[in-house]
Amino acid sequence: GDKSEGSSGDGSIKIVAAHNQTSPENPYQDGLLKFKEVAEAESDGNIKVEVHAGTIGTEESELVEKLKTGGADVVLVSPGFMTQTGIKEVNLLALPYLFDSYEHWEKVVDGEVGDKMANIINEKSNNDFKLLGYWTAGVRHYYGKKPLQSMEDLEGLTMRTQTSGVVANYWKQTGAIPTSVAWGELYQALQQDVVDSAENAYPYFVQQNHHTTDNGKYITETGHDYTTRFLLVNGNKFDSYTKEQQEIILKAAEASVKAERESLYKQEEEYKQKAIDDGAKVNEIDRQPFIELAKPLQDKAAKEMGVTDLLEKIREMK
Amino acid sequence: MGFLLVGLFIVLMFIGIPIAFVIGIVALLGIMNIPYIPEMTVPMKMLNGLDSFVLLAVPLFILAANLMNSGKISVKLIDLALAIVGPIRGGLAHANILVSMMFAGVSGASQADTAGVGKILIPSMIRKGYDKETAVGVTAASSTVGVVIPPSIPMIIFAGLTNASVGALFLGGIVPGVLIGLAMMIFVYILAVKRNYPKQARVEFSKFLKLLMETIPALFTIVIIIGGIVSGFFTATEAAAIASLYTLLISMFFYKTLKLKDLPKILIDTLSLSSLSLFALATASALGELMSYYQLGTLAQQFFTNNVGTEWLFIIIIVGFFLFIGTFMDAIPAMILFVPVILPTALQFGIDPVHLGLIVVLTLAVGLVTPPYGLCLLLAAKIGDLSIERSFKAVVPYIAIIIVVLLFIAFFPDIAFYVPKMINPSLF
Amino acid sequence: MNRFIKMLEKIQLTLGILFLSLFFIVIVIQITTRHLGISVIWTTELATYSFIWAVFMGAAVMVNRREHFTFDYLQRKLKGKTLLILNIFNDLVLIVFNIALFIYGLEVVEGFWSYNWVALPQLKMGYVWISIPIMAGTMILYSISHLMKHVKSLKVGEVSE
Ligand code: NA
Ligand code: NA
Repeated sequence: GDKSEGSSGDGSIKIVAAHNQTSPENPYQDGLLKFKEVAEAESDGNIKVEVHAGTIGTEESELVEKLKTGGADVVLVSPGFMTQTGIKEVNLLALPYLFDSYEHWEKVVDGEVGDKMANIINEKSNNDFKLLGYWTAGVRHYYGKKPLQSMEDLEGLTMRTQTSGVVANYWKQTGAIPTSVAWGELYQALQQDVVDSAENAYPYFVQQNHHTTDNGKYITETGHDYTTRFLLVNGNKFDSYTKEQQEIILKAAEASVKAERESLYKQEEEYKQKAIDDGAKVNEIDRQPFIELAKPLQDKAAKEMGVTDLLEKIREMK
Repeated sequence: MGFLLVGLFIVLMFIGIPIAFVIGIVALLGIMNIPYIPEMTVPMKMLNGLDSFVLLAVPLFILAANLMNSGKISVKLIDLALAIVGPIRGGLAHANILVSMMFAGVSGASQADTAGVGKILIPSMIRKGYDKETAVGVTAASSTVGVVIPPSIPMIIFAGLTNASVGALFLGGIVPGVLIGLAMMIFVYILAVKRNYPKQARVEFSKFLKLLMETIPALFTIVIIIGGIVSGFFTATEAAAIASLYTLLISMFFYKTLKLKDLPKILIDTLSLSSLSLFALATASALGELMSYYQLGTLAQQFFTNNVGTEWLFIIIIVGFFLFIGTFMDAIPAMILFVPVILPTALQFGIDPVHLGLIVVLTLAVGLVTPPYGLCLLLAAKIGDLSIERSFKAVVPYIAIIIVVLLFIAFFPDIAFYVPKMINPSLF
Repeated sequence: MNRFIKMLEKIQLTLGILFLSLFFIVIVIQITTRHLGISVIWTTELATYSFIWAVFMGAAVMVNRREHFTFDYLQRKLKGKTLLILNIFNDLVLIVFNIALFIYGLEVVEGFWSYNWVALPQLKMGYVWISIPIMAGTMILYSISHLMKHVKSLKVGEVSE
């Protein structure tokens, strides 16, 4: 298309909002539909929002590229993929055991640290990306072929986990062997003993039936990652909108943050119950040794990213 | 605008622009016409379309097949097939079908089979008094099982598009693949009796055993690939790499039919063949992107639920549609473009993605032998020096056989799923 | 010109073969290490990007060899001057499309040059994206050489191909 930035003669704008999950029953979808609802209602149709559920990219990297070039206007991205754009600071939020509860997480991302992070993203990307709010993809737990009673039980277990450096290092230190398996192949991999275990949040792995496989039916609530997702808009495009349109978008984003989190929290309980009903075994574990192991890694990673001050703040807010 | 683009597509194709470029040009012009999509989406999507680990299986399975042909392993398989079915009337034609079924267990595509087997069997069939039509027809038609019997490149692509399990699709292809082969043999038998085609001399049992022992290392490739994928020991891509490595090693060190100096040519052939279909995949990804901005999947879903109430009618429409598309497009770009469009509707009708995959892959297999763009037909016609028109006429009965099996599988999926459920019930 | 095109094709083909061999080797490494219980996370990414390079280099060479699948119906019907004019027109269509692909491809390279690979963050995405303008650029050169041949035959008035 030409460079009209998506605005037509009468000043109305069209916003392409996209996430990477194809399942209709996903908190992302609830969040973006809320965004659409509020933006369209508040603007009396002056803003049109088109929601794409995986249709213009099931890879986050693709959505980030589209956000930059203008193929999408509002997208959802995880810290791991933001680091790919050269903004390494955001990976702070993906460090293992950084948060100890949703309350802690919300206090951090909705407070001063969240604001600082938003500034870093905006500055380092030259205004390509502007943060509209923090969503979550749930809290991640271990699930595998045996329940964990202590960290020693991880020794020698292969585990499907993210390929991001610090996370991989952390699991290596616990004794597990991080293994790369595509998400779409994981069900089979767990079923056929290609990997011994994996880690993810209830709504994600229960929807894929991983909890019904031999190597996925023991869930230990390690709670190692209260995940953060960035709701982003293209900053340059945002600046080209009228003041009124900007305010409406911010308001819609705020409503979407609330809707997404509510939906996720609700699904987390529902899918945990479903896992139990389907015969999976859930147990809790003393997280303290895991937390202790994570601390030096967090220190080192934060230092490398140059955000030791933010790490300290996050720890103080517990 | 949509109609304009379709019109442009037809015109460009007709004047002789390569089809992969036609797809790319239409994608670019379509995207230029939508103000909020930047033009650089076209190169981006072309690359992103290829940025998928499963696609690496495409050149690797072609490499395995090329190694089998260059390493003369296909010759050994033909000898084995002749020893088994040669004494039946029309023996060479039966062997042609049987060897294609064996070849299919190693190769993920069909063209290498047409080329490798056709080069040997078409001339010898003609020499033994078979009609050219029969020689070309049976060669082209039987090689379609290459994409039905696992491994199968189209199945891998389908799995990538829909998140269906590759293992389940592969297992699901066994019954229809074998049915197609058997049905073709019955047809060939009737033809052979009518036209009095020759039998081959019976092979002594001791010689047969020797032949079998010789071919076991080659046949073991099938066990490695299918067993490896189904048991989850490797992914499809890894299995393709292992198959290539294994074929390379046995033909260099066991059969000693392949030399190091043969490798560059094999690699060039592999790169040529795979880059042709993968470049078409790249431009198709760009066009598919345009289609997803139009939200064609949602539109199709609305259309089908409002106008086509029943599952079986929907299946008939899909089959008809892909039969048509397959006449002028390769299976891979056809799936990239249209599987995302039909998937939401199929799911809503409660059609299992693995079942849908079998229907789509079987239908597109027919496209391998229908002109103008039927690669196996073109190849076999060239080898047999027969016109496309006459070759197509020869292949029509076989197409009917494939379609009958396809409809059978479409409406009685339990038959296709019998074997996979027996082997690995947890896949379903 | 002819010698230049021949050399270019040879270089590009060699490059394609090298990338094909590279990703083959990398996958073998991946399987081996996984079954040894060693975790190597960069293999998938390196293999996939080599694969992309191999495909794009191969596709360009196939333009020079005119192997991309084409409906030759009209080509077979037409003769002489009309056929040459059609061929010239088709060469021009390919050249224009590839110029667009080259320019937009460069835009992508510029925009995303400094993005990192995921598992090998020291490597830049630019090394991957640049395969597109290189492919499009060489396709332009190959098509120009075809165009020149067709124009020449048109001038001589001879019927070729
Ligand atoms: Na096959
Ligand atoms: Na055959």
